Amino acid sequence: MNGRLQDRVCVVTGAARGIGLAIAERFGREGARVACVDVSARRLEPTVAELVSRSVDARAFAVDVGRRDEVHEMFHSIESEFAAPVAVLVNNAVWARFQPLDEIDRETVDRMFACGVDGLIWTMQAAAPQMERRGGGSIINLSSVSASHPAKDSIAYSALKAGVVGLTRAAAMELSPKRIRVNAIAPGMIGTPTSIAQFDETTIVERRAQMPLGRFGEPEEIAGVAAFLASDDSSYVQGAVITADGGWTVAAK
Amino acid sequence: MRRLEGRRAIVTGGGSGIGRASAIRFAREGASVLVVGRAENTMETVDLIRAEDGKALGMVTDAAVEANVEAMVQRSVSDLGGLEIFFANIGVTGTNTPLLEQTVEEWEEVYRINTISCFLAIKYAGRHMTAQRYGSIILTSSAASLRANAGAISYSASKAAVNNLAQTAANAFAGTGVRVNAVLPGLVETQLTRKVFEDARARGIEGKLGHVTPMKRPGRADEIAAAAAFLASDDSSYVDGQMLSVDGGVSSTHPYGRIAL
Repeated sequence: MNGRLQDRVCVVTGAARGIGLAIAERFGREGARVACVDVSARRLEPTVAELVSRSVDARAFAVDVGRRDEVHEMFHSIESEFAAPVAVLVNNAVWARFQPLDEIDRETVDRMFACGVDGLIWTMQAAAPQMERRGGGSIINLSSVSASHPAKDSIAYSALKAGVVGLTRAAAMELSPKRIRVNAIAPGMIGTPTSIAQFDETTIVERRAQMPLGRFGEPEEIAGVAAFLASDDSSYVQGAVITADGGWTVAAK
Repeated sequence: MRRLEGRRAIVTGGGSGIGRASAIRFAREGASVLVVGRAENTMETVDLIRAEDGKALGMVTDAAVEANVEAMVQRSVSDLGGLEIFFANIGVTGTNTPLLEQTVEEWEEVYRINTISCFLAIKYAGRHMTAQRYGSIILTSSAASLRANAGAISYSASKAAVNNLAQTAANAFAGTGVRVNAVLPGLVETQLTRKVFEDARARGIEGKLGHVTPMKRPGRADEIAAAAAFLASDDSSYVDGQMLSVDGGVSSTHPYGRIAL
């Protein structure tokens, strides 16, 4: 049976764990060939081994997406290793620290934006020509409900994720003539180990109660949205932001 | 992918356009579909689904009348065995009468068909779905709900109300497992927009249709149906109270030019 992403080369950054891992797995089930990108080669190994054991054509690419030249080089390697141009790019990699204003330091901001904004520009820049050559493609950028509904200590993070919305829409406009679609997903509270670790038990209980769906999301639920945006099912969806937050942000609190 | 295997769905406005395409898509994904429409073409949609071995029933009725909506839900439960999906999709365009000359009668009719039909879908499907603690309700809104000059004024306002219903109903159903979302199509050739397309063809400017969108083309009914299928399926299990734009980018970017409708 052919999946909706059959034989398409899909690049997923931050693929070693959490949402990125769930997306890589889902794309694999939809028939995709998956280039798993992470800053850590060691972290990537089990991810790729697991995908390969399920007969997914998956390969590991260790790179820091904030480094322009290395990103461009990596996209050349991806195309030559898969012997096909990239069809789908998911920008999921992020490095973040949550601090009150008076504690934010130069290094934190530089590192966050190098990965979470600059990195998206470099990957889109490298992927777009390949997508154009194959007649089109789909780029999916991970934003956050923090872009519009900031949580505590998230001045840098909110700016970062609002930046993702802006660059997504601008790229949608610019890349549309090349038949490339660019959309974003804004997850709410997703129960990954990293996100849970940020909050104490009281906050977690409080947050759940605020959500119409009454629970944190699972990484697989973001992967379901990513699969829609990656596939031709979203062929007329351009420059959109799909919020997947269990209804968290619909109500005035 | 058959993501709706075993599910029961009601699709209103199912005789043509987005409703027909969605009923067919839901059936292809495994759902049994109650196709509802005001005209006889409703049964043609049923025939199209059956011709490809899908399961469908038809009901010719006005889906903006309370008793009819209640009857549809009952029919789905009794004849299809349940109800997990309701796609409230009927609509009228309103007129382009100058604003200062518009009448209350026009506004009441546009609101009845575009907005109150959604309220009724939420009310009766919601009663059934909240009791079973599962369901997805999808409302057809429009890009015109977000921007001026993309449709008649009464139409645009009635669709903005639909967006709000997606949010308020999602919130009202908190803790029940029932999701409510809206899909916002851009320009798509349907019964509602046929005149726009026909006029453009007659003037030899069909290629100009949708040129204000970044994608430089109008959408197709099956592209809206694919988005509705996403919202109907568990692939959107954490998407609730949202407005999903399927408009070629027209609502997310700076306008390219004026939309001639």
